[in-house]
Amino acid sequence: MSSTPRLNWVLLLVYGSATIGVLVAAFISPAFRAIAYAPLRDLLVPPPQPIVVDVLYSTEKAAWIEEAVDRFQTSGIRVDGRPIELALSKSGSREMVLAVLDGEAEPDLISPASMLQISLLEDLSAARTDAFDGPVVDRKDVETCRPVLNTPVVLVAWKNRADVLWGDRPNGELWLRLHEAVTEEAWDVYGHPEWGFIKFGQTNPLKSNSGFQTFLLMTYNYAGKSGGLSNDDILDSDFQRWYREFGRNVTKFGDSTGTFMEEIVAYGPSRYDVVAVYEATAIEHIDNAVARYGSQYGGLRVVYPPVTSLSDHPFCVLQADWVAAEEAQAAQVFLDYLTSREIQQLALRHGFRPVDDTIPLSEAGSPFPRYEANGVRLDLPDQVEVPPGNVLNTMLEFWARNVQP
Amino acid sequence: MRRRLKSSIVVLTVLSAMLVACGGALPLPGGKTVTISMIYGSEKEAWLVPLIEAFNAEKNETEGGATIVVEATPMGSIVSGDGIVDGTLQPTVWSPASSAYVPVANMNWRQKHGEDLVLGTPNDLVLSPVVVAMWRPMAEALGWPEKPLGWADIAEMATSEEGWAAYGYPEWGAFKFGHTHPDFSNSGIIAVIAEAYAAVGKQRDLTLSDLEDPTLRSFMTDVESSIIHYGESTGFFANRMFERGPSYLSAAVMYENLIAAQEAKRLSGESDQPPVVAIYPKEGTPWSNHPYIILNAPWVTEEQREAAEIFEGFLLAEPQQRKSVEYGFRPADPSLALGPPLDRRHGVDPNEPQTILEVPPAEVIVGVQELWRAEVKKPVDVVVVLDISGSMEGKKISSARSSLVDFIDLMDDRDRLEVILFNDEMITLTDLSPLGEKRQDVRNRVSGVVERGDTKLYSAVELAYRELEEKGNPDHIRAIVALTDGQDTASTITLPELVNRIESQSESGDATKIFTIAFGRAADRDVMRRIAEITGGKQYDSDPETIGEIYAEIATFF
Repeated sequence: MSSTPRLNWVLLLVYGSATIGVLVAAFISPAFRAIAYAPLRDLLVPPPQPIVVDVLYSTEKAAWIEEAVDRFQTSGIRVDGRPIELALSKSGSREMVLAVLDGEAEPDLISPASMLQISLLEDLSAARTDAFDGPVVDRKDVETCRPVLNTPVVLVAWKNRADVLWGDRPNGELWLRLHEAVTEEAWDVYGHPEWGFIKFGQTNPLKSNSGFQTFLLMTYNYAGKSGGLSNDDILDSDFQRWYREFGRNVTKFGDSTGTFMEEIVAYGPSRYDVVAVYEATAIEHIDNAVARYGSQYGGLRVVYPPVTSLSDHPFCVLQADWVAAEEAQAAQVFLDYLTSREIQQLALRHGFRPVDDTIPLSEAGSPFPRYEANGVRLDLPDQVEVPPGNVLNTMLEFWARNVQP
Repeated sequence: MRRRLKSSIVVLTVLSAMLVACGGALPLPGGKTVTISMIYGSEKEAWLVPLIEAFNAEKNETEGGATIVVEATPMGSIVSGDGIVDGTLQPTVWSPASSAYVPVANMNWRQKHGEDLVLGTPNDLVLSPVVVAMWRPMAEALGWPEKPLGWADIAEMATSEEGWAAYGYPEWGAFKFGHTHPDFSNSGIIAVIAEAYAAVGKQRDLTLSDLEDPTLRSFMTDVESSIIHYGESTGFFANRMFERGPSYLSAAVMYENLIAAQEAKRLSGESDQPPVVAIYPKEGTPWSNHPYIILNAPWVTEEQREAAEIFEGFLLAEPQQRKSVEYGFRPADPSLALGPPLDRRHGVDPNEPQTILEVPPAEVIVGVQELWRAEVKKPVDVVVVLDISGSMEGKKISSARSSLVDFIDLMDDRDRLEVILFNDEMITLTDLSPLGEKRQDVRNRVSGVVERGDTKLYSAVELAYRELEEKGNPDHIRAIVALTDGQDTASTITLPELVNRIESQSESGDATKIFTIAFGRAADRDVMRRIAEITGGKQYDSDPETIGEIYAEIATFF
């Protein structure tokens, strides 16, 4: 009789410990956490801290990335049971490279408009041995650093003016004709004195990617090649004279690609005849031009250079001391999400070409087929080779010294 | 034009803005508020003012929870830019009629502060091209709309001896042209730059050496000789043209939106003037783009900057942008379509302009301004008629004397001045002759004037009128500025006689303008208004406190 209560105490202790153990395990388990009564849950086991990923991206893709982030946050994707919080900030592509090099920005994931800037960042950070232990990005590592969207540089012009300048079919002489037109100064040479002087706008290559790409395409075009651009090509005095002459007559070297596109529509052809922008930017505004002016001027015409340069919008996880291991891991998860089929289709609807080539540009919801009459192409011209960092630097230095207004 | 005029106008405008603000949206006690002040080009007043009221009523808040209050003052774009640079104006936001003068403001600011006043490229609020407004029958006589017209055609008309007779309309008289004062208003400086471009046959790259060209100088001087008078703001100038009709002014430089608005009035029966059309100069024309500039100035706080950005977002949001079309603007938002009154029915053509006239760099703009002041500007012949009757004693006569001296200082050496003092007799203090040679003498004599006797207003005005008829140079702007504090008690002519005398000559815009200042409450305002308005001049109510401001405003006409 006397041993029974003793046994009960032991049993109670055993069962009790087991119950508490199961409960604690249950609270820790994600499946249980999700359905548990929240205040009790948080009291017993504090929720896991989110991993904050700082994402610095270039402005042209803002509309797409904001929508993609909204979807990501509701997807419930986690790393080791921890939610991922994305802190977005945007800037110009070149600005962001300089901000990282100067230590003013410490992002975990970076996305300029083009691999060109990644190439620059890699070379320049490798050279800054005082500030960095090595290059902060590795563009050869396709797992952590890869293109996510494509959009080529195009010229956008009012159709009536593009037709006069290039005829029905722009050809290999596109840049030469533009150079000639811009330096001829006036439309009266083309039989249209009422259009005044020829107004071409592109962004400043020192500030914005589309301006740099335009400069690169003209440089390649002058050198008569599409790969292997060298410092000698840029230091060639005939080329320098040729380009300086063009630069002097450019109506404006602006800061932002989007602004050019907005202005060519808002002001009509009085302000700009031709601007160099991204294909995606052009697609966004084709309907606006029609709404504003109807069929006057024939609407906007998109003209593709014979060989183009892609903005490939790479996303690269940084390899720097401010990027903790779990931040790198979470950044990688987000990067993989951006290349998922769903988010690639979303990009297409925003006028970008998906890197996922199983998604046809002609699929439902794509704006590409709709604007074929404006010159938008489903195929893509060949691309120039991205020169190495030192050649890019020579180009920038030449521009800063000789052309900078 | 001298700097003092500008600074006095600036100071007085700020004072009046403060008075208005005190009577207006004062925050409720207890709540935290952040007030942002905005100085803007007056042409967008009709669109902007109701939006500011709506925004303030919404009680928008900053992130820190402060309620945003916007206070706004309309002002000429050039004078406001200069006022901000010299610190007499300290708004949070500056929204001039166009970006044209921004490089000049930046250049001057950099000299003092080492950095730019305006950073980056500010957003445009609304757009409107600079155009030449012309009465439709006159435009048609010049071949419009089949024949494209340009700045050079306007200049040719302005310099022609024959005027409208050359086009088969002798009854229209001379070609009477107008633009605002280039030291005050955006459209004024644009007009003068366009004249310079037309003179050298360029559409861009106007240089300082172009301005040295004697042909350019004589060309511009000839064009300016057809000016009827200048003015402080484009909005006022447009009103003047649309109220007084074709006999007053044939054509004036203004913005497309003002023409669309006038035509909307005419079509609804509010205005009985003939139709007016916008001529988009064939050489191209600059745009008025109404940039929204949050100033990079030490007096702008972080909280004000945040509040100003919130207000900017409101103005750029679709409903507000859409609203601008009703006022004849083209919205800056490229996704919005254009619609009535922006159509041919309202005298404007949304498919124009075809090209732009490039705004030259800062130093060239300053060069054009200097050239205009020193050489090109149309001189004025002005007769000042000053009441020195016994009732002017005390503060009245002393303030009248000192502000008249200030007024004299605002005039250029090439201008000609006569001063007539009156009580029961009339004394010519100085004859109509160039001011350059007698400036100090006149200043001294005006400062010594004493008051006594009766008021012989009508006779004095009549004498001034006769003086300008006989001795005035028809190639100059001719004006009378008459100040009195009482009613006529001693004239040898009656008011109807005086009115008759003036009315027979005053139809035309280049006739003598009379500006009357009713000084104190006893002055007969109705009579003074009548005298002023038949000439296209203006009547002002004044007192010893505001007399300086009135003289300064009158000076912007010439």
